[in-house]
Amino acid sequence: MKKIFLIITAMLAFSFASKADNLRILAEAGDEATLTAAIAQFEEANPGVTVEASYLGWDDFMSTIKLKMADNNPPDLAHGNQGFTVDGTLIQNGLVISLEKYADAYGWKNLFADGALAEFMWSDDGTTWGSGNLYGISPVAEDVIVYYNKDKLTSLGLSVPSNFAEFENALQVSKDAGELPIALGGADGWPIIHVWGLVEGAFVDPNQTRSWIFNAKNTDFITDDRMKAAEKLADMASAGYFGSDSLGIGYDDANAMFMNGQGVFNLTGTWMTADFNSGMGDNVGAFAMPRASGGVAGGGSFALPWHISSKSANPALAAKFINHLLSNEFIDDLMGVGRVPAQSPTIDPTSNLQAEVIAASNALVGANAKTFYTDWATPGMYDTVTQELQKVIGGAASAQEFMDAMAAESVN
Amino acid sequence: MSTKYIYRPQNKIDYSSYLYLIPAFIFYLVFVFFPLADTFYNSFTEWNGISEKKWVGLEQYAKNIQNKKITSSIKHSFILIIFYSILPIIIGLLIAGLMIRVKVHGMSTYRAILFLPQILSMIVVGIAWRWIYAPKGPLNSGLDFFGLEEVSRAWLGSFDYALPFVGLIGTWVMFGFTMILFIAGVQKIPTELYDAAKVDGAGAISEFFNVTLPNLKGEIVVALVFTVTLALRNFDLIYITTGGGPGTSTMIPSMFIYKKAFQMNQVGSASSLGIMLTLLIFTLVSIILLIFKDKK
Repeated sequence: MKKIFLIITAMLAFSFASKADNLRILAEAGDEATLTAAIAQFEEANPGVTVEASYLGWDDFMSTIKLKMADNNPPDLAHGNQGFTVDGTLIQNGLVISLEKYADAYGWKNLFADGALAEFMWSDDGTTWGSGNLYGISPVAEDVIVYYNKDKLTSLGLSVPSNFAEFENALQVSKDAGELPIALGGADGWPIIHVWGLVEGAFVDPNQTRSWIFNAKNTDFITDDRMKAAEKLADMASAGYFGSDSLGIGYDDANAMFMNGQGVFNLTGTWMTADFNSGMGDNVGAFAMPRASGGVAGGGSFALPWHISSKSANPALAAKFINHLLSNEFIDDLMGVGRVPAQSPTIDPTSNLQAEVIAASNALVGANAKTFYTDWATPGMYDTVTQELQKVIGGAASAQEFMDAMAAESVN
Repeated sequence: MSTKYIYRPQNKIDYSSYLYLIPAFIFYLVFVFFPLADTFYNSFTEWNGISEKKWVGLEQYAKNIQNKKITSSIKHSFILIIFYSILPIIIGLLIAGLMIRVKVHGMSTYRAILFLPQILSMIVVGIAWRWIYAPKGPLNSGLDFFGLEEVSRAWLGSFDYALPFVGLIGTWVMFGFTMILFIAGVQKIPTELYDAAKVDGAGAISEFFNVTLPNLKGEIVVALVFTVTLALRNFDLIYITTGGGPGTSTMIPSMFIYKKAFQMNQVGSASSLGIMLTLLIFTLVSIILLIFKDKK
């Protein structure tokens, strides 16, 4: 019912439609604060332009965005979501345009390292992903890293681990001391994808994982290295490193527990930085997950991509707004609210934690070690991977069963 | 009111009266019949919700039947019938049986309290019970208080307990409805029958089985149809409490329909599953009505 109401509200909002210098934006609600600021800046810099933004919470947004973009009167500019489920479908049906023209004009590709934008690159028919033309872009980086409780780590006589074996040792020491090693909200399913991304990253070459995500049908999922990672995750679960109740705890509750001093580590995304900082102050630190053989690894990607509708009356204005989102003015605003910009900011971090998070993020970028999210691989993967990972964490499936189920979904 | 119409000859039909049905009929056509027909058509297609529909005949149905995850989710639905339907009817009958024999002061207040779950939104119910069942929630705290730490666990995160414990929420929601239905039914049973039973020396139990139960047959059928339908089409409670997890241990067909339509871009497949679920509910309800058909 709530969903229907939101849809109707959004439809009404969009029906008061478009003058030529009117830009309509549909965004995921997490960006409301920063976009409100960006819109004010943009309107001031471009007299006569008005920007109307609508926001929907994650679930409502993801279940309706494709239909909204297929509407006869869609927003000019909207978030998508990496992968075949949303972005692929939008491109396949010609609902969003290639941004190549604007990227060249504004120099967007020079802002990032070579290959960094692969997750936004598609063939024009939307069937192959990871190379081709640029269809989306985002100013925000979201990396999955390790947050830790500083007091606990110190009092356990531990320091920030420099390889995966040391990380495992820290988990065992925490467990032996009666602490919960990792706070995990497994009831929601998807937080376990982040844990898996880090464990997988510790053992599997990031290039191999990215190739699989971009082309799951034709890339082997089952490899010796990934098998090791799956066995490691199963071992970590049976050793009790996630506690005995993690499948009964939601993501928000797990983070609340962590902030209240339960859990030595929390393996999650940089979007939590501001919350952890206000909840734990200087008692929280962050590092990129060290790999088994040195270096760092992690899930993560850009945040949700911005797309321009193929039915937009004024795509050039939409591109100009995107360019504003990639400007230093907006990047610095992102820093102010504790997020991690995908480009270097011109101001200093606003907290110790943000400094550590940015260092971790830079380490991942420097090592070209971001491996995205497992569920991007196929439209049915989100379901499969969340269910199978819950089974592994709950001891209801072996590493081999997990690998087999994932391999089967890869070619589905 | 004029009595003219009451004595109107039956063979003359006033067609103008059908005009009054038109608004409701249009409403039904637009909001029930058209979506149903559209879903029926979509169930024979491969369609991602945006692209051209591709006719594939019965392929989606065949795939659904072969999909082990879907067949096991139907099994879960049948287990939920025990909790959504059978248990509430038994509890409702017990309470109705008690309420007619034992006179308690402020009975209507108790009735209202017991009926309360029925009028709460399922979303509210789901969130409240998720809290009750949480690892550090009231249920586990209670168990721990009585020294039952061994028993307490993350109920909704357990592969063995999640399904029955979600089911128990359904029992809590539904028994108020069955109770009110049965109490209303009991009140229309002629008191002579009870007097006769007493004269024949029937005790409380014999009276329940020989007078109350047989006279509540109509109400029991209504309760069965209503609760079985709810058990099979239930979505919100599972969506809020477990999302079908852990793993697939509480997965039900309606969750699949949602996931296929809104997460996996498989609107054709979701439609075929929707039609299959509708047929299943229709068949079960028909069986119930057939079993309890009046033999008079």
